[in-house]
Amino acid sequence: MKGAAVVVGVGESPYYERGGAPETEFQLACIAIRHAVADAGLAMSDIDGVVSYMDRNEPVRLSAALGMGDLNWTAQTFGGGGNGAGAAVTLADAAISAGYAECVVAFRSLAQGQFARYGQAGRVRRSTGAAAFTAPYGVLTPAQTTALQTTRFMHEHGVSQDSLAEVALASYAHAQRNPRAIRYGNPLTRAAYHASRWIAEPFHLYDCCPENDGAAAIVVTTAARARHLRRPPVAIVAAAHGVERGDGAAAFNDVHFPTAHHRHVGRTLWARAGVEPADVPVAQFYENFTGPVLMAITEMGFCAPEELNEFVGDGGLQWPHGRLPINTAGGNLGEAYIHGFGNVVEAVRQIRGESTCQVDGAELSLSVSGPNYAPGSAVLFGTG
Amino acid sequence: MTAVSALPDDWALPGLTPFNEAWFTSGAIAVQRCISCAVLQHPPEEICRACGSMRFEPAPLAPTGTVYSFTVVHYAANPALASSVPYTVVLVSLDEAPHVRVVGNLDGHDVTIGMPVVATWEERTADDGRTILLPQWRRP
Repeated sequence: MKGAAVVVGVGESPYYERGGAPETEFQLACIAIRHAVADAGLAMSDIDGVVSYMDRNEPVRLSAALGMGDLNWTAQTFGGGGNGAGAAVTLADAAISAGYAECVVAFRSLAQGQFARYGQAGRVRRSTGAAAFTAPYGVLTPAQTTALQTTRFMHEHGVSQDSLAEVALASYAHAQRNPRAIRYGNPLTRAAYHASRWIAEPFHLYDCCPENDGAAAIVVTTAARARHLRRPPVAIVAAAHGVERGDGAAAFNDVHFPTAHHRHVGRTLWARAGVEPADVPVAQFYENFTGPVLMAITEMGFCAPEELNEFVGDGGLQWPHGRLPINTAGGNLGEAYIHGFGNVVEAVRQIRGESTCQVDGAELSLSVSGPNYAPGSAVLFGTG
Repeated sequence: MTAVSALPDDWALPGLTPFNEAWFTSGAIAVQRCISCAVLQHPPEEICRACGSMRFEPAPLAPTGTVYSFTVVHYAANPALASSVPYTVVLVSLDEAPHVRVVGNLDGHDVTIGMPVVATWEERTADDGRTILLPQWRRP
């Protein structure tokens, strides 16, 4: 923590529409990891740790297939959903800071064409655990669960449908500058947003992330090792993952419902970093759906919920003139849905000055993962 | 026993456990109550969050509440639901335990936050022949 670990490489596979990848999910993971390790100027045999979240591609298989070094650290976070992106970075940071490993790959590979689609639900006769209280009522997918949270959030704070639209419009606008983005060449207008069909109210089609195939990875190492590598190191200034007391209850019974599960994460992150939201010029917010992004923006402390309409309105989230440009590579909505790990890669690129929507002189860059599925997580990157 | 669910009769049922059985079979709004400290918790958990006890009893509460949140689902996430959309999902805050939020379906799509609702039970038969009384919600 606090500068011991730095990011020295980023990489991704090509990104595809669901079912469009000629590679398997495991191959996609290998491609992204190879690119990240090459970007770092390291040899694959230097890699001695692998971390991820909700991933099927096990570190031992990857290490054998790719020719990594002796493994000293493998870890994956508990908890559902894209919240694990930042949490995986904390696992890499922990391993480096504590000295368990020296060069750790954090990655996520997801081929929804090869495996189950996140927007679909299997048919089961008997729902068990927490799903027993939701699935019999047709509450099956993240779109539906986050819709229930967003409806209440909008009601409590007077948040407008146009504010939801601002999140989608920002992602799509930024994707138009990023040739890697799946929505590159497909801009979105406010009228098209509002005219699109409902998925689960208050979510229109464009409030919802696509289903994609792809993988993304970063390489984390020590500041000392980074001095001899080809890339300028990007510091993990602070990272946090966790959940506020009482907010782990199932079936919408969190004490603070509706919550993106980022109040505690935000307080912890800013305290560890010694900076505040106003110091951050650019951020990536995991957008499975637009509503949770708005909730996370407030819970991370960028504005009060009642200020959201003004904060995000009139392109407030868009590069280059917005109050807080977010999802500057296009995010999950516009670049690709790699379970939010593309957002981590983009947050690093902002510090390296390599974004296709580069915020001039960004010395801090925030990545907030997985709103609405506990535990939440966030990482603040900075100049090394 | 009015069926308000728009979902098919053979759609998923809750798997019964000793902890959720009262909720899904009693025909009452039977919230899990800790025998030691009387705290009400939902959905049922295997340990009391307040005192750590593992002994519970069902607490029948008034079958009334207000809509805390809702969504109208338009996209069928499973082909078996294609003829059911749009269907309405409500989160109901119970009058006698406002901190308890219950998921259910509501007949029709005319729904607002704060709207009063009363429970009704949808009778279904589990694979093992047991009768399940699924709590649902309707306007008073």
